[in-house]
Amino acid sequence: MTSSQSHRLASGGLIDRSASLNFRFDGRTFSGFQGDTLASALIANGVKLVGRSFKYHRPRGILTAGSEEPNALVELRTGARREPNTKATTAELYEGLEAASQNRWPSLRHDVMSVNQLFAPIFVAGFYYKTFMWPAKFWEAIYEPAIRRAAGLGRAAGVADPDHYDKAWAHCDVLIAGSGPAGLVAALAAGRSGARVILCEEDFALGGRLLSDGGTIDGVPAAEWLSRTLTELAAMPDVRIMTRTTLFGVYDGGTYGAIERVNDHLPSPPEHQVRQRLWRIVAKRCVVAAGALERPIVFAGNDTPGVMMASAMRTYVARYAAAPAKRIALFTNNEDGWRTVETALGAGLQIAAVIDARPDVSAAYRSLASKGGFPVLHGSVSGVDGGKDGVRKIAVSLAGGARAEVEADGLAVSGGWNPAVGLTSYHRGRPKWRDDIAAFVPDGAPPGMVAAGAANGDFGLGACLSQGFAAGVAAARDAGHSGKAGTAPVADDEAFSLTPLWHVTGKGKAFVDYQHDVTASDIELAQREGFESVEHLKRYTTLGMATDQGKTSNVAGLAIMAAVSGRSIPETGTTIYRPPYVPVAIGAFAGHHRDETFHATRLTPSHHWAMEQGAVFVDTGLWKRAQWYPRAGEKDWLESVTREVKAVRGGVGFCDVSTLGKIDVHGPDAGAFLDRVYINTFSNLAVGKARYGLMLREDGIVYDDGTTSRLAEDHYFLTTTTAKAGLVMQHLEFCRQVLFPELDVQLTSVSDQWAQFSIAGPKTRELLKEIVDPAEDLSNEGFPFMGAREVALRGGIKARLFRISFSGEMAFEISVPARLGDAMARNLMLAGAPFGVTPYGTEALGVMRVEKGHVAGPELSGTTTAADLGLGKMMSAKKDYIGRVMAGREALVAPDRQVVVGIKPTDKARRLRSGAHIIPKGQTPGPGNDQGYVTSVCFSPTSDQWIGLGLVERGRERIGEIVHAHDPLRGEDYDVELCNPVFYDPDGGRQRG
Amino acid sequence: MADFSWGSRSPLEHALVAGAHGARGTEAGVSLTEIRDFDLIQVMARRGQAAELAKAAKARFGVAAPNAPKAVQTSDAILIWSGPDQFFVLSKGGKHTMQTLAPALSGPASLSDQSHARALINIAGSKARIMLAKLSSIDLHPEVFPIGSAAATSMDHTSVTLWRGDDRPDGQAVFSLLVFATFAESLWHTMLDAAAEYGVEISHSEELA
Repeated sequence: MTSSQSHRLASGGLIDRSASLNFRFDGRTFSGFQGDTLASALIANGVKLVGRSFKYHRPRGILTAGSEEPNALVELRTGARREPNTKATTAELYEGLEAASQNRWPSLRHDVMSVNQLFAPIFVAGFYYKTFMWPAKFWEAIYEPAIRRAAGLGRAAGVADPDHYDKAWAHCDVLIAGSGPAGLVAALAAGRSGARVILCEEDFALGGRLLSDGGTIDGVPAAEWLSRTLTELAAMPDVRIMTRTTLFGVYDGGTYGAIERVNDHLPSPPEHQVRQRLWRIVAKRCVVAAGALERPIVFAGNDTPGVMMASAMRTYVARYAAAPAKRIALFTNNEDGWRTVETALGAGLQIAAVIDARPDVSAAYRSLASKGGFPVLHGSVSGVDGGKDGVRKIAVSLAGGARAEVEADGLAVSGGWNPAVGLTSYHRGRPKWRDDIAAFVPDGAPPGMVAAGAANGDFGLGACLSQGFAAGVAAARDAGHSGKAGTAPVADDEAFSLTPLWHVTGKGKAFVDYQHDVTASDIELAQREGFESVEHLKRYTTLGMATDQGKTSNVAGLAIMAAVSGRSIPETGTTIYRPPYVPVAIGAFAGHHRDETFHATRLTPSHHWAMEQGAVFVDTGLWKRAQWYPRAGEKDWLESVTREVKAVRGGVGFCDVSTLGKIDVHGPDAGAFLDRVYINTFSNLAVGKARYGLMLREDGIVYDDGTTSRLAEDHYFLTTTTAKAGLVMQHLEFCRQVLFPELDVQLTSVSDQWAQFSIAGPKTRELLKEIVDPAEDLSNEGFPFMGAREVALRGGIKARLFRISFSGEMAFEISVPARLGDAMARNLMLAGAPFGVTPYGTEALGVMRVEKGHVAGPELSGTTTAADLGLGKMMSAKKDYIGRVMAGREALVAPDRQVVVGIKPTDKARRLRSGAHIIPKGQTPGPGNDQGYVTSVCFSPTSDQWIGLGLVERGRERIGEIVHAHDPLRGEDYDVELCNPVFYDPDGGRQRG
Repeated sequence: MADFSWGSRSPLEHALVAGAHGARGTEAGVSLTEIRDFDLIQVMARRGQAAELAKAAKARFGVAAPNAPKAVQTSDAILIWSGPDQFFVLSKGGKHTMQTLAPALSGPASLSDQSHARALINIAGSKARIMLAKLSSIDLHPEVFPIGSAAATSMDHTSVTLWRGDDRPDGQAVFSLLVFATFAESLWHTMLDAAAEYGVEISHSEELA
């Protein structure tokens, strides 16, 4: 059933009546027009009740027509795209839109939780703190689950967001927030001056209040001026107008955050498009022309559906041709509110009465009242008779003390205007109070930023145009552009005479913060209980802490606090303003970085070959590394890994080790440089040889290790661990540029230049003979252990060959330029086929290094010294090096340090696990006798049992001792024997053979 | 004896699928062209020898090497700034390799072969700038980043060298990107995601421009 748009005006409005759109709200079908928001379409259909309030479940309607809306929050869309707390006032209508009201059960009209209203006396400020204190153990079991069920507005989709988001950068000379008259002329002035301009407008239409309030500019109607201005701006190539884009934050160095709702106005984003885009805009200057927000007056029943901001009512009538009510009353304390009367009368609506809190009303408006035949009551609204069907009657306290009643189905309220001071205050700025408008205005702003027009507290159209234009000219000039800007458009200023009125005392709940259900009496209570500071007031009552961040409520709250605490409003002060100005989806901040694209990945040169082999990959930092290569019939990883280890130890295998960091160290002082960064000496390394090196941090703790080869007199090739590749490069650059600028050394990362493979096993030499040019001497004499040199390969290419071993086997590492890495893997398979060559992954690599007692990441843990690792003898006494002095500190050379030792279970069948604590046998485990822990474990196919390495107090002196392994995490306790960490080929004959 | 072939394989060989990607219907807004098999040598002045290097480079290339974030086109190479007192020599066809550059430059400079350490991607098309704005914080406005501008920067948390070479004959700007080879496939996918909404034309080429 499509209802008839009963409250749509017969003509007018910026809607496209030829484009009818069907939508559903709480299951009912309605229709609206292109150009409507969900709120304006609901109003056009006579819908007044759109939601239930947060705490008391009170019926609520639509209060505003913008992003400050505290009431009309809905769940928009369904399924995975369901988004709670969407403001109906900014949600653009599209064909098939589905929305549901929130915070009600079973239905919006009949909400069981509205019984909360009966208990209202206990739901006061600090309710949670006061009520759920005792007994303490009830909190987790009873109170919190119950509160969680009752709390919150709307329901999240609960499944992954199917849409994409991205992030982008933009740059400009002048950034402008807002496309009202001030913003548009600022853009015009800056654009004509020759500046690059970006203007952000959160609405889908440009013009700001001109769209609702009209007026005359340069002698022509505002609409005509607007269209002329937009045409001129569109013709400027360096002026970029971004609609549906909210500038939400100001960051350092002239960087601004903006959120563009690229496709929120469609049911779902078109293929290949994003839902929203997060912009980081770098601007030399910024003009904030974000306007002002009309503020409510706090009186009993001010949250009844049908009570609406006066300016919002004008917007619905003038811009959307939708009548929020047919018989309207206005409650105002200023001249501007009266414009709503003019607009309503112009649209043929009836005015029931104007309740004006000021002593005087201008002659013009007095005559309007007499012509319109409605009374002007001097006084205040003290109560509203109505409910979920809207306003019925309004109670008025007249200035003289008498009471009156007004029958109306809608009440427009204007308590004055608050400049939007968010952006100007985000760098801890505090706005200042201006008495003439009874509002806070910007008092300075972040560097490069200035406010203009209503955002600066100057509300008149004429003032907006002249200020905005001047700000645009100045901003462009400051950014280096002073072309001919012409003159500012002119318009008259409307009168704005206001008598402050914040709170009308009366019987019944009077709301300050609609979204968080904070009432005037909550603020009074907070003051009585000592929470007078505005920051305390905010946290105690939750005033201004909802998703609207108190845009309609903060100033009224402060004013009430000021009144009850006997201070002025500026003395009471404001809370700190923090971005974002509007809620921004986390998805927009994440952008592309989610799921498998959460971070960049690195692939080894043989990656796609390994994929063809069916390798299982493991994430190692950013790398994808082949972890093992399962074969058909193998039941688990252990079986595959054990096969790979045995194949290497019994024949030959190879592994891509390109992930190691590789650094070219060039220059005449390369050797001297390495002597200073390594604990051992490299200047005396012969060309054509490799050496294992260990680096310390400045504090004497081990930093990294690796093999470094001397390829020429002035060229070393340094390798790092995979994990520390980038950090070591940074460290060495720091050493080169800052610590040792006197040395002639050049560094380059060549990590990505070389594909490097470890070839290991007793048949390594046989395999190499197949692939290396026969002229190369690979014999023990011709290519001894720790040799390093370039060799020719069959097929006419050159490779670097290093005789180094991590596995303990006869082994070489071979390097070819990276684009040949894939071919290298394939050729190693070919060359090794006669010997049963087996590719192995990082697990087998790890098993063999534990069998050989080599330390790696778990032992280079950032707490160990060279001596702890059994490498103390490498610390040269003949030279200085980084970390030398600090490594001599008492605690770092204490005899009872935990040092690397081998560990094997006394029960050969037992599995070891890393992390188990070592305590003396027969003692009860506790912090007092914790002597270390197991760092690395593996199943050793060679020993046919689980073995491990550990860091154990005085471990090397205790070889053969039986100690206790205590593993409270897995609930395991067992005995282990401390042993030599080199389980395999302790004299090293195999790797030298 | 096995027959070994040493085919060169680009780090983008797997990920790059030539043809159209993303939105269709209109002319592709972005073209991505991978340049394969190039020579890239990093030249770093030795301590106190920047002036000698500048002289030697001028003699070798006929134009001054960049001493600021710029890319300079020579008759047969592009010289790209890569840091204080250092630059890349990018060329094709073996004209400027370690072997050929060493005699001219290895006195005042250290040379490091980076030919295989990078992938090279050219980005053009009417939407090239707006697409790159999703990846790069660099302002690519024609007046701010004119022909010959270069930047050592990052995209998607990945180090890249970005420069603007000569425009295409049709006047379209061309941005060139060197990315570490092991990151190339990852960044490529990110670029495709960023460009998909504009329509992408994907190809690879053996020619530098």
